[in-house]
Amino acid sequence: MDFDLTKEQEMIRKEVRKFARNEIAPKAGDLDENEEFSEDLTRKMGEIGLFGMFVSEAYEGQAMDYISYIIAVEEIARIDGSQAATIAAGNSLGIGPIYYFGTEDQKQKYLPKLCAGEGLWGFGLTEPTAGSDAGGSKTTAVLDGNEWVINGSKIFITNAACDMTMGVTVQAVTGTRDNGKPEYSCILVEAGTPGFKAVPMHKKMMWRASNTAELYFDDVRVPKENILGKKGDGFHQMLATLDGGRLSIGAMGLGGAQGAYDLALAYAKEREQFGQPISKFQAIAFKLADCAMEIECARNLLYKACWLKSHHRPFEKEAAMGKLYCSEVMNRVVNHAVQIHGGYGLMKEYNVERFFRDQKLLEIGEGTSEVQRLVISRYIGC
Amino acid sequence: MKICVCVKHVPDTAATIKIDGETGFKDSEIKFVVNPYDEYGVEEAVKLKEKNGGEVVIVTVGKPEAAATIRSALAMGADRAILVTTDSQFLDASLTAKALKAAMEKDGLPDLIFTGKGSVDTESFQTQYRLAHSLGIPVVNEVSTLSVDGKKAVAELEVGGGDKQVIEMGLPCVIGATKGLNEPRYPKFPDIMKAKKKKIDEMTLADLGLDASAQGVTLEKLEPVPERTGAKMIEGSVEEQVTELIRILKQDEKVL
Repeated sequence: MDFDLTKEQEMIRKEVRKFARNEIAPKAGDLDENEEFSEDLTRKMGEIGLFGMFVSEAYEGQAMDYISYIIAVEEIARIDGSQAATIAAGNSLGIGPIYYFGTEDQKQKYLPKLCAGEGLWGFGLTEPTAGSDAGGSKTTAVLDGNEWVINGSKIFITNAACDMTMGVTVQAVTGTRDNGKPEYSCILVEAGTPGFKAVPMHKKMMWRASNTAELYFDDVRVPKENILGKKGDGFHQMLATLDGGRLSIGAMGLGGAQGAYDLALAYAKEREQFGQPISKFQAIAFKLADCAMEIECARNLLYKACWLKSHHRPFEKEAAMGKLYCSEVMNRVVNHAVQIHGGYGLMKEYNVERFFRDQKLLEIGEGTSEVQRLVISRYIGC
Repeated sequence: MKICVCVKHVPDTAATIKIDGETGFKDSEIKFVVNPYDEYGVEEAVKLKEKNGGEVVIVTVGKPEAAATIRSALAMGADRAILVTTDSQFLDASLTAKALKAAMEKDGLPDLIFTGKGSVDTESFQTQYRLAHSLGIPVVNEVSTLSVDGKKAVAELEVGGGDKQVIEMGLPCVIGATKGLNEPRYPKFPDIMKAKKKKIDEMTLADLGLDASAQGVTLEKLEPVPERTGAKMIEGSVEEQVTELIRILKQDEKVL
């Protein structure tokens, strides 16, 4: 067994940490408060190479291994969940499907700009009436001559309604399979296509500096070639995309837990009550010890899942476990972290309340905790 | 143009240093970085190279672990590096300067040398002066604006009260970089990958004919900064308070 990261992975961590501390940390509070997506930060993240991390150089990606990508998301999430969401969704959901399933033309057309962080791409799966039941989605695409005609709507779609958005991948019903169930395909729709509307969603509790959209398709016509891969591959593509996506959500849980723990440990060592730092009281020290232990476990589990993926071994069960465990660890850690901060933990000035809010999404997005348990239970033969 | 940048491997200023023995500290537990002032030097050197061509060589005197720090400087765009290895984190400025000089002479003297204005660990602020003196070339420290043109360099430095001193000197010379000179770049990920393939020439002090024990200054002891103790409130009338304060300053604290 070898628990050491490679020198490059260590350097990625060091450089991303420095970037996050210097560039993101000073702005994270205000962007969250104002519910503002920062194009400036997104472009800066693109400049250092945070988009297209696992994409080959042929499409101007950064050609790094999957653990490096996960470490980068973890380090950003350690400072700010919103920016980590932009990166995780940009890579796993925006770039990933085009890179893994797109035609050569599609890859050449979109990936260089997306990998440079000059544009963003959304992944439209969830619908107002189809969340965990992804098979119940109602958006349709019908072939009319040489064009797909798309109708329907999507909701909670990250990176899909800002000025940098170049388009979205939309999963739609394109027919009926032999077993009578709907057939799904994924289709690429560029921003600005007539009939396609992307509306930013506001009043979010968490990830307030991340761009979230509702998408409306009203007789949207796109060329036949805009189908991603083959007709009927949509459901498989969606599942494969989510398996990878889970690792990045896991990284957000891990990084967020680490960030909240960092804040709590520092505060506990500074805050004095009854004549000594509160970190000296067993009630506080044991909470911090539990946090440190759980974060360690979460990191080992998540990195192992990434290692399996990197070695082209089955990783779906471990990805579900990693996503579930990391997000629940972050839940417990942020809860302790706010408690350790006492009254100040409830104030925006002490960033820990932002971590407390940002955490909740992780148990809901990209497969709820209940869905993860369902996935794991099937893998273990229940 | 060949440019050497002297880079020191230093503990992150945010790190909690735990003293180990008389003159050491637990360095395996803390993060090391490129000395922040040296980073301005690296950035300036890489910018000059990008503009005029040439080569940027990182020169470091430090423990073998400094190689990781050197990789960060290489990822910023330097071409290769020389690491003179030592056993100790703390080497006095005169020996450091001798080692830097010997390494540069062995490699071929550069047209321009950058250092930081000082290092954030020992803060002795001497290496650049000693290095320039031993090479017999000009040196300017705390440079916040620089232009290099053919055979000369023009450096500006803040001298207080909003005034600036402008110094023109011939090349080669030593420039002590400080904040304001530029905004050091964040390495792009592909550059981090490329940095691992760049060459780091390792040599010891002995390889350069230097004796590690011949330091001008040796470190005797490291002590932690005493923890701040609680404030004392002096009660009573003004007269009693002043009397008590004078007594404390004389007898307890012995500062009067």
